[in-house]
Amino acid sequence: MRECKIVSRKFELENSHTLEVAKANDGYRTLAKMAEYSPLEMIEIIQESNLRGKGGGGAPAGDKWALMPQNSDKPSFLAVNCDESEPGTFKDRKIISKDPHLLIEGILLTCYAIRAKHAYIYIRGEYKQYQGILQSAIDEAYEAGILDACDITVHRGAGAYICGEKSALLESMEGKRGHPRLKPKQKEPEWFFDNPTLVNNVETIASVPFIIENGANAYKSYGTEKSSGTLLFAMSGHVARPGVYESEFGISMMEYINHFGGGIKNGKRLKAVIPGGASTGVITAKEAETVTLDYESLLSIGSALGTGGMIIMDEDTCMVSALKNLLEFYHEESCGQCTPCREGTGWVDKLVAKILNKRGTKEDIDKLLEIADTMNGKTICVFAPSVSTVIVSFIKRFRDEFEEAL
Amino acid sequence: MSEIVEVIVDKRSYNAEKGSLLIDLLIKEKIKVPYFCYHEALGADGNCRMCMVEIEGQKRPQIACDTFVKEGMEVHSTGENIEKVRTNILELELINHPVDCPTCDQAGECSLQDFYMDYGLHDSKIAIPEKVKGLKKVDLGSNVMLDQERCVLCARCTRFTDKITHTHELGIIGRGDHARVSTMPGRKLDNPYAMNVVDLCPVGALTSKDFRFAQRVWFLQTVDSICHGCAKGCNIYIDHNKIKYQDDVIYRFRPRRNDDVNGFFICDEGRLSYKNLQENRQETTLLNGNEISEDEAIQEAMNFMQKYENNITIVIDANLFTEEIDAILEFAKNINAKVCSPLAVYIDENFKDDMLKSSNRAANSKTVERLNINTNEPNLSGMIINFNHPQTFKSEEQIHFLTHARNEQGLIFPIAAFTENAGTLTNEDSITQKCEKAVDKNSPAPTILAYLQKVQV
Repeated sequence: MRECKIVSRKFELENSHTLEVAKANDGYRTLAKMAEYSPLEMIEIIQESNLRGKGGGGAPAGDKWALMPQNSDKPSFLAVNCDESEPGTFKDRKIISKDPHLLIEGILLTCYAIRAKHAYIYIRGEYKQYQGILQSAIDEAYEAGILDACDITVHRGAGAYICGEKSALLESMEGKRGHPRLKPKQKEPEWFFDNPTLVNNVETIASVPFIIENGANAYKSYGTEKSSGTLLFAMSGHVARPGVYESEFGISMMEYINHFGGGIKNGKRLKAVIPGGASTGVITAKEAETVTLDYESLLSIGSALGTGGMIIMDEDTCMVSALKNLLEFYHEESCGQCTPCREGTGWVDKLVAKILNKRGTKEDIDKLLEIADTMNGKTICVFAPSVSTVIVSFIKRFRDEFEEAL
Repeated sequence: MSEIVEVIVDKRSYNAEKGSLLIDLLIKEKIKVPYFCYHEALGADGNCRMCMVEIEGQKRPQIACDTFVKEGMEVHSTGENIEKVRTNILELELINHPVDCPTCDQAGECSLQDFYMDYGLHDSKIAIPEKVKGLKKVDLGSNVMLDQERCVLCARCTRFTDKITHTHELGIIGRGDHARVSTMPGRKLDNPYAMNVVDLCPVGALTSKDFRFAQRVWFLQTVDSICHGCAKGCNIYIDHNKIKYQDDVIYRFRPRRNDDVNGFFICDEGRLSYKNLQENRQETTLLNGNEISEDEAIQEAMNFMQKYENNITIVIDANLFTEEIDAILEFAKNINAKVCSPLAVYIDENFKDDMLKSSNRAANSKTVERLNINTNEPNLSGMIINFNHPQTFKSEEQIHFLTHARNEQGLIFPIAAFTENAGTLTNEDSITQKCEKAVDKNSPAPTILAYLQKVQV
């Protein structure tokens, strides 16, 4: 397996979060490229590199950058999405705690490309300790004069999962309730206080310096044709060595789990994997044998790569309780704006609790699927469709366990 | 003018402005579409997800309140698919609803009830102990009571305080199925238009303290009228009912939509002005405080008019209907009396705001001005005949025609209030509007016109 450390290069170094270590290891070197490329050229490089958003959606980042106006009389903003709340996902905190200067470097390059003078990092409320590391790195950068032309403000969220959705994130940053906005009918930037704004995930921004330094082709040399580059894949659950390990796209899932994770914990057999954060459909061990870690492969078996944060479940896992665990989370975290999600998440949680308590009926299982259908594609954001996917994937792949539990 | 395009809804063709909201077209053309959160005054919020329609070329059903009209758009608002979607979403809306319609004031004018009759008609599939509980009576302030369990979280009320009054008292707190409407910490709902949230609320979550438990709405009769609180001329509905063996009573005023005048709303003071109309009424005919019969009083009035011939001043209330003012002017000509209608007394700068309230608190002063009636104070020598003008004048002799009892000397006749009579008014923007007769009292006071026919000289 080829070693590829694009974002995680400095993670293992001692005091890697300090400016001193960053600078000693080529940090901020790419800032000189700003003199070489115009903002538009930089956007073209990102488009050319096929960098895809690493927050879960996997949309082409460069195309999103290109939507930002190059000559607007309104100020442009960059909002870096560090509201990492997806269960099973913990890669962004690795970046902000182990190499915050890489993120700052990426922010400076991105702001240059989209002509923004101010970037916000929206950080998850629970990441208080990492916020301290990030903030001291920003303070160091200010002192060193690195942030003379561009400001960075860290904005701490209040702990709502939905604020990771980009429009809810901006609503929250504007001081309102974190409710996703109605989607625009045409392609356009996001809007922060009515100003054009780019929202990107931490890891996406942290990948930018490598691409600008080494060129689009160097980045594309990793991964598959459609899923270019690398991702900070992560493992949690019943795996020997859980953690975050960077790898290129396209390697086999089992190979990744065995190579980096040391296989299933205590030598047990694998039962199921949730491939990319809780909101992607669960897959069976058999499917895990066949898939590769890229957007297309997982999509083809009816799941998604998401954030690449794999939740590994061994043979002893009760799938009904696993689903109950997830649904409790969604029940708690639905923002409550759209009816299907607000009422649906509570209802499915109660129904699975009923099944778990041996009071369920066969109709309850069908009712779960029916509610999942109502929740799919009928709301403002993708929260409810995700819950729907989770329910359907669990019942479709492990229906016998649900029926046994009745 | 924007471009008008053709849209096909359920195989029929309609014209609509390009880029306008599809739901506006459906509402205008009376095509049945269920919705809670959309309101023409508040715009789209897209949270209730009830107004789903199918649009040709779109994979999934779309909400009509977030769909913009395009040339040749083909919409299906009926059919098995769309009705199933609406039924399923309505079912979710209802799982935590307390279904306490028998004690709910909204019953009979509740969107949830209406849509249940259209799309639901199923039994609740969630056991009652599992329903999310909330507070049943929260006094939000300004006569508005909140029942959190009945709320469908459409956010109309919060959007009203955000977008219309800009007072921001209301918000939604909590997430998921525990989200609920509340006032901001340490605040009360407190603005002069607050009670409009009761009308905006599509269900029984927000009810008026003033109207709660007073009447079942299906017993009420509704009449179109105009508020007499100021010169704005806000359009209202008068809801009244005559219970057997009792008198005809007004239970509430509600705003009636008129985009040229008041839009969708009225102020709370105007809304509650129905109470004064029914209290402390002048009910008997009096001569210097002693009750006399109407016939005697009319005879007395004629004697007075003869005695003070050519020395009579008529004072007109600028709230009277135009028809009444016309008749009074005719009468004045016949008896050779001077006429005036002092308007200064109606001016109240403290009442004025930049929404609907006008500092001119006379509903028909525009007509007084149009007819060139003298607006100065009357001459106090001789006799004054006062047609309900609010000022007291110390003249030698006085005849009063009053809706409400007050301390006056001379001859006093009771007259009908505007709710007991029909007529027209012209508001401060020169818009002439009609009030219909609402109340039919058991012993009605005569109208001014009826008196003037009797008192012919």
